[in-house]
Amino acid sequence: MVVADSKRMITAALIGNPNVGKTTLFNLLTGLNQHVGNWPGVTVEKKEGFINDNVKIVDLPGIYAMDTYSNEEKISKSFLESGDVDFILNIVDASNLHRNLYLTMQLKEFNIPIILILNMVDVAEKKGIKIDYENLSQLLGVMVVPIVASKGKGVDKIEELLSNGIFSKANHDNDIHYQNVVHFKSEAETYKYIEGILSQCLTYTSENTFTITERLDKILINKFLAYPIFIAIIYLIFQFTFSWVGQPLADLLDSFVNDWFVPHINILLSGANGWFKSLIVDGIIGGVGSVIVFLPVILALFLCISFLEDSGYMARVAFLMDKIIRKMGLSGKAFIPLIIGFGCNVPGVMSTRTLESEKDRKMTALLLPLMSCNARLPIYLVIAGALFKGHEAVVVASLYALGVIVAFFIGILFKNTIFKKDDEPFIIELPEYKLPELKSLALHTWEKGKGFLRKAGTIIFSVSIIVWLLSNFNFSGMTEIDKSFIAGIGRFISPVFIPLGFASWQNSVSLLTGIMAKEVVVGTMGVIYGGNLTKILPTVFTPISAISFLVFVLLYTPCISLIATMKKEYGSKMAMFSVAYQLVLAWLVSFIVYNGGSLILRIF
Amino acid sequence: MIINEGVVMMSVYDLKPGQTALVSGILGDEKLAKRLRALGANEGVKVRVKSFAPLGDPIIINFMGFDLAIRKRDAKNIVVKDII
Ligand SMILES: Nc1nc2c(ncn2[C@@H]2O[C@H](COP(=O)(O)OP(=O)(O)OP(=O)(O)O)[C@@H](O)[C@H]2O)c(=O)[nH]1
Ligand SMILES: [Mg+2]
Repeated sequence: MVVADSKRMITAALIGNPNVGKTTLFNLLTGLNQHVGNWPGVTVEKKEGFINDNVKIVDLPGIYAMDTYSNEEKISKSFLESGDVDFILNIVDASNLHRNLYLTMQLKEFNIPIILILNMVDVAEKKGIKIDYENLSQLLGVMVVPIVASKGKGVDKIEELLSNGIFSKANHDNDIHYQNVVHFKSEAETYKYIEGILSQCLTYTSENTFTITERLDKILINKFLAYPIFIAIIYLIFQFTFSWVGQPLADLLDSFVNDWFVPHINILLSGANGWFKSLIVDGIIGGVGSVIVFLPVILALFLCISFLEDSGYMARVAFLMDKIIRKMGLSGKAFIPLIIGFGCNVPGVMSTRTLESEKDRKMTALLLPLMSCNARLPIYLVIAGALFKGHEAVVVASLYALGVIVAFFIGILFKNTIFKKDDEPFIIELPEYKLPELKSLALHTWEKGKGFLRKAGTIIFSVSIIVWLLSNFNFSGMTEIDKSFIAGIGRFISPVFIPLGFASWQNSVSLLTGIMAKEVVVGTMGVIYGGNLTKILPTVFTPISAISFLVFVLLYTPCISLIATMKKEYGSKMAMFSVAYQLVLAWLVSFIVYNGGSLILRIF
Repeated sequence: MIINEGVVMMSVYDLKPGQTALVSGILGDEKLAKRLRALGANEGVKVRVKSFAPLGDPIIINFMGFDLAIRKRDAKNIVVKDII
């Protein structure tokens, strides 16, 4: 039992079924901005936040029942069992109380005070369900608070309860009722008990038979329309990002930086030391600037992904793709981490926790880096913009497609070699569709934008400076770039790339620094090629060697954050394997593309 | 149809889209069976097959008021009676 001791931090754990709005409430209570999405299994880690100095809130992965199933659910269970929880904030979906209360019954056995938060009462009302909260509270023996988390309704009540004298009151309530916690012998018995309670608390005002979700499903998972619609959605996202919104804004930003900002800085620094001016203009602006102009493209793509994630379509994609992805021995659910991976591979790998078997998790994590993440986009756009002006979208789309196709074949290869095992059962709950809230879309997209800017200000910034230093010095002091340290390093690696057609020392160094973060490839090129890449790159690449380079960028070793995540989730052996197999893969595919392409060009 | 100890039984797999029946039990993989029971697929509960995936598998079933995608192979383990 908790003693209302003002000196001690109170820990309240958010527990509930998947996709009931735990993270939405967590964000409201703590002011944080954790990932919210409309499919079961968004949150895969324990996250802490604070209401005030005395109350800590812990967001946890969703859990259907205490018999654990997948890895992320184990996190919630073991946290409950750790003894660190003073309070359970049990969030339930008010529109689906029967199933949600099953977990509540199991939670009661922990003898930890519970506040039952009835979320989504808006959905319940729409379904014509009326709930007698007073009665429900009485019969269950817990405090009941109805809220609509997505609209912030009722949340102040919870805040108030948590920051004021709630503890003693709830304890009092719970003291009475914990003496008669019911123990059940079977699931059926539990459900019978729940039905007994709910029959006294629920009234149905209208029998809504044909909901919006059912109507949408008639179209979106229709036998003939489902796949064309899926392809159309991807096409729309591409158009939005590259033709309508993202790229045009990026072009504006680019001309702002190159035609206004740089000349002004040049004037400003006209009196400064030559090397200092070079550090600022060639080093920092050349490096960071050439990456940062792509912010609009990245935001546009993240906005689209956030919309998909919040709409309810993701679980349908898992459903639609199950039969196809099964050829690789995976379940449809593995598609969700893969789609997340198009934004950034790191959360994609984290999200593999939701898959049922170790085999599925490992295999999906190994295939994930083949999904072209947002960080690779600046490289595609710079090179395609320089060499394939007017056809950037085709080039980029082909690279994304190539990643998926290669993943498919590697998946089949893995299935028949290192991951031989039978199919696991596959079930996934299909949530109701909903129109994403503008505010949460904006917040989520901005969060990603901040991440990108942070990266630009830290990793890309410092690598640019290091590259500038290494390209202006050697053991005898300041020097020509051709005799610098960095040229030496580049020349040491470049022979490997001779068969791939892009073996200059500059390209080699760029690829090497790209391991820090893929955008750095562009930053490094900006520094060592000096300034305007659009003019210089066509003198460095032929169309075919440019494609070979891009293919290599798509497939080679992911960035260090991904390697670190892989190591954390699956151990160093897996991380090393991931790095090694991708290097070999990238080399082989680029080799085929370059030499095959050259051969075809020669024949015609 | 499934034949269990010589008795012919019907499963969710045998239902056509739109048909509803009552669950009479769950066989097979104990982990999955336990999960399905915890989700509310217990004896006497109404289960409806809503639709098949475009490629024929998996299928969407509905019980206790929510939709669940499940592979046909696993749906065979949800034994039903009394098509309504
Ligand atoms: N209509 C409605 N939707 C809500 C409400 N609260 C949350 N949602 C939506 O429900 C979906 C799930 O919200 P999350 O906060 O990610 O749910 P979660 O419980 O953290 O989910 P997991 O992390 O997957 O277990 C999101 O699309 C939310 O916008 C509500 O009160 N009403
Ligand atoms: Mg969550």
